Amino acid sequence: MTLGWIHPGLVLILGAWVLPLLRGRIKRAAMILLPAAALALCVASTPGTHGVVRVLGQEFVFGRVDATSLVFSYVFSLMACVGIVFALHVEDDSQHIAALTYAGSALGVTFAGDLLTLYVFWELMAIASTLLVWQRREPAAVKAGFRYLLVHVVGGLVLLAGIAIHWSQTGSLAFGDMHAFSGGVGWSLILVAFLLNAAVPPLGAWLPDAYAEATVTGAVFMTAFTTKSAVYVLIRGFAGTELLVWLGAAMALYGVVYAVLENDARRLLAYHIISQVGYMVCGVGIGTELAINGATAHAFAHILYKALLFMGAGAVLQTTGLRKLSEMGGLYKTMPKTLGLYMVGAFAISAVPLFSGFVSKSMVVSAAGETHRAAVFLMLTMASAGTFLHTGLKLPYYMFFGRKSDHALGRRGIEPPGNMLVAMALAAVACIAIGVFPGLLYRHLPNPVDYAPYTLHHVTSTLGLLGFTALGFFLLLRNLDPEPTISLDTDWFYRRGAAGFEKWIQKPLARLESGTVGGICDFVIRRPVLGAASLMRRFDGVVDSALVGIGRSTQSLSRVLKTAASGHAQHYGLFMAAGLLALVALAMLAR
Amino acid sequence: MNDYPVLTVTTFLPLVGAALVFFRGGERLARWISLVTTLATLIVSAPLYFRFAKDSSALQFVESADWIPTWGVSYGMGVDGISLPFIFLASLLSVLCVGVSWTAVRTRVREFHVALLVAETAMIGLFAAANLFLFFVFWELMVIPVFLLIGVWGGPRRVYASVKFLIFTLAGSVLMLVGIIALHKLCGTLDFKALAGASIARVHQYWLFGAFLAAFAVKVPMFPVHTWLPDAHTEAPTAGSVILAAILLKMGAYGFLRVSLPVLPDAVHHFLLPMLVMSAIAIVYGAYVTLVQTDVKRLIAYSSVSHMGFVTLGIFTLERKGVEGAILQMFNHGILSAALFLCVGMIYQRTHTREIADYGGVARTAPVYSTLLALFCLAAAGFPGLNSFVGEFLVIGGAFETGSWLGAMAIWGVALGTTYLLWLYYRVVMGKQNPKLAGLALELDARELATLAPLALLAVVVGLYPECVLSYLRAPVAALLATGGAP
Repeated sequence: MTLGWIHPGLVLILGAWVLPLLRGRIKRAAMILLPAAALALCVASTPGTHGVVRVLGQEFVFGRVDATSLVFSYVFSLMACVGIVFALHVEDDSQHIAALTYAGSALGVTFAGDLLTLYVFWELMAIASTLLVWQRREPAAVKAGFRYLLVHVVGGLVLLAGIAIHWSQTGSLAFGDMHAFSGGVGWSLILVAFLLNAAVPPLGAWLPDAYAEATVTGAVFMTAFTTKSAVYVLIRGFAGTELLVWLGAAMALYGVVYAVLENDARRLLAYHIISQVGYMVCGVGIGTELAINGATAHAFAHILYKALLFMGAGAVLQTTGLRKLSEMGGLYKTMPKTLGLYMVGAFAISAVPLFSGFVSKSMVVSAAGETHRAAVFLMLTMASAGTFLHTGLKLPYYMFFGRKSDHALGRRGIEPPGNMLVAMALAAVACIAIGVFPGLLYRHLPNPVDYAPYTLHHVTSTLGLLGFTALGFFLLLRNLDPEPTISLDTDWFYRRGAAGFEKWIQKPLARLESGTVGGICDFVIRRPVLGAASLMRRFDGVVDSALVGIGRSTQSLSRVLKTAASGHAQHYGLFMAAGLLALVALAMLAR
Repeated sequence: MNDYPVLTVTTFLPLVGAALVFFRGGERLARWISLVTTLATLIVSAPLYFRFAKDSSALQFVESADWIPTWGVSYGMGVDGISLPFIFLASLLSVLCVGVSWTAVRTRVREFHVALLVAETAMIGLFAAANLFLFFVFWELMVIPVFLLIGVWGGPRRVYASVKFLIFTLAGSVLMLVGIIALHKLCGTLDFKALAGASIARVHQYWLFGAFLAAFAVKVPMFPVHTWLPDAHTEAPTAGSVILAAILLKMGAYGFLRVSLPVLPDAVHHFLLPMLVMSAIAIVYGAYVTLVQTDVKRLIAYSSVSHMGFVTLGIFTLERKGVEGAILQMFNHGILSAALFLCVGMIYQRTHTREIADYGGVARTAPVYSTLLALFCLAAAGFPGLNSFVGEFLVIGGAFETGSWLGAMAIWGVALGTTYLLWLYYRVVMGKQNPKLAGLALELDARELATLAPLALLAVVVGLYPECVLSYLRAPVAALLATGGAP
């Protein structure tokens, strides 16, 4: 194993366990230091293959460092920093351990050079993020966590099956472009598993379900890692797959449509994640250099502004206890800073010029245009409009402004604690910085960048789109009022299905099991084994008695012989004479 | 090679400590002297592990001095890769024995620690001995302190158990003595290296094999002379059980490796089939009997019969995989049986019952204990990633190469092993809390945790990186198997 490159992910995963041992300021310093150290390690990494371990003739690569993995590692570790600052006030150490393990595993996935290493960190991510959902410790969160865990366990199994089949067919576990195997069983299974983590419909219903139920600080972490590491692995292995273009475009619209219907602020934002990831998946599918660049850039920007949005919604949830838009309003007076920072995120996601979304999203859309995919271009642009409508306009309007509903009156918000504002400010600064100086991001993209976002055509078309969307919003304001409804997503199928399955297991199947099968088991296995065992135990007692018996018989012999030592001289004399006679007789007979 | 004779110091330092305890120690001081001595022994033995050359099969750290020149008997110490892990095991476990006996032994504390330290000397000395005479001296020396440990500080049937142990062991070692004398007559030397090179007539080999078999088979223990084991292990105090299970049993198997295989190769080949059959029987029979035990300690004791069956099976496959696996299993079983007996002893101190029926739901009030016990039970059952898996894997591999019926019996033994261990765990730890345990503080304190921690760590480390033990074994096992090779 080559030293000299320390895996940033392992720093986070192992370092997190130090936190419960610390207190107060030192602990908070350590909390910030860990992801900062990981970020420093990522930045200081030199491209190459590090951390290669040979076991049983197979090579496991823990540190594949190149442009693609580096840029993702930067944003993951940066996100870990921001997220941990946001969570500085949380006293529950298990949340920090889970969050840092989650971030560390995402780094592990990013740097994994072979499928098995990928799988290990993939599973670790699933477990850590489940804990983040469960740590809210409310009944709804516990149930959502179980569903999340089950979905990801199934996804993990599909991935494992795909890897196993791929390995048996190719003999290699190397993780690279899988174009050569497209259409094969292993390829399909691995793709399905990656798509599941990327929350591609119909496999993505877990995302809004779980992200809305996680803790305030946990959800911020969750938005970043699972889906974006899925995008990363798609870039690595499935770039240029045609299927992804259509899935991505459909995804972008799907997320936006569902967001229309949403009333819960964080669920709405979660559906937007699906929408934005759709852009990335589409970019991966298009596969040109510009498209891959766009997907990467969009992932980078998205992590930051989505985190900012979730931080804003989470701050509102934390200080007011409200999550439903239909119950919120009028918070602009008491939470101006939160509103301001949130709007930065809202503008970023809406791809307003001078914000990060503008310079990243447009790359993907332009790539679609360049490859003459008119339908895809249209779908993505429609999704952009919808994004601005919901995240940029509807959400802040109803959350911070809006008519004062009865509920809002009693719940005046206050600004969230300082660390949360600082974290939001950090993310906001990043969003603006990338927007104003796109070169900062473009420099790190995997392919050479030949793209200039700030063209007159582009800025005016974007402003036009945004302007008319805003107009539409204010004209149709009444129709967009949030209603307390539940929208059904594809998870309806497995939730209903699971309930039915469970009913079947509890009654008829359980009866069959305990009655018939249990009886057969008892008769064929349990009784013979335990019967044989008792028999052998009794036999062991016999063996023991036999051996002890040898000892006891020696004892008895001694007792018998003891009588010969009677103490009477005439007896001794008799024995001696008899013995002598016997010897003489023997000697004479032996002749 | 070093500034001090490592092996002699390591072997006799505990004896010095014993003398100190005997002459100076009051009750409290005795424990501390004992602890310091055992720790010092562990530290003093450190050069053995760090300066050992793994690629050589010759004896290292050799120390030699004339003792009884007229008989050709010398004081010879030396270790190779086969004996080294057991010296480590003996030193480590002695420390842990002192740790677990800290509050458990309340009567005659001074004498207890004297016995413990003398036992440690004997254990280390046996593995460090480079000739058969010294081997025998330490073999016999071992019996006395263990006899005392069981007989004085043991359970209700301790006298019966200790006398039984004594008679069984002495019966075997008497025959071994005859064998040693005969060997000396035939070869003129008792040095292991020289003996391995000597050629002995077939007929003599057969008789010698039988003589040594008597001693080793009782110690291992092989079926059917195993019946001393359950009584001795059950009635012994915790420290005594640990020494018995972890080290004493290994002395028998070590004897096979040191004496029977290199010195009597023709006899080994002649008696191969019976040895294999007896090993297989021990595995399966031991496992079956374990299944229906109602006393926790007795259950673990019988499981040792089954596990040592694996060891002898591996040894008598006479091929690299099997022998390396067997030696690794010896080391693993040493760790795990020590750990299990420590766990049982710790909880026995609180509940004063060993019946499984009196336990249940321990997890509720003692989560750390339950976790550690789970680790050790899983490890003993051969869970992958923990130490026993690798050893069993190698032994079963070797067994299959010798004969598929052997492999089948070995696997059957593993299956039964998993059953009885997990069933034990379930009945003791899981489920509803037994009302008899109400109000007892079952959780481990810091001292007990510190006693179990090294074993847990070893179980995981050896499981994930078995090379750390196997690397020592490569060279000597290869030499052993080459021509009934020389150490």
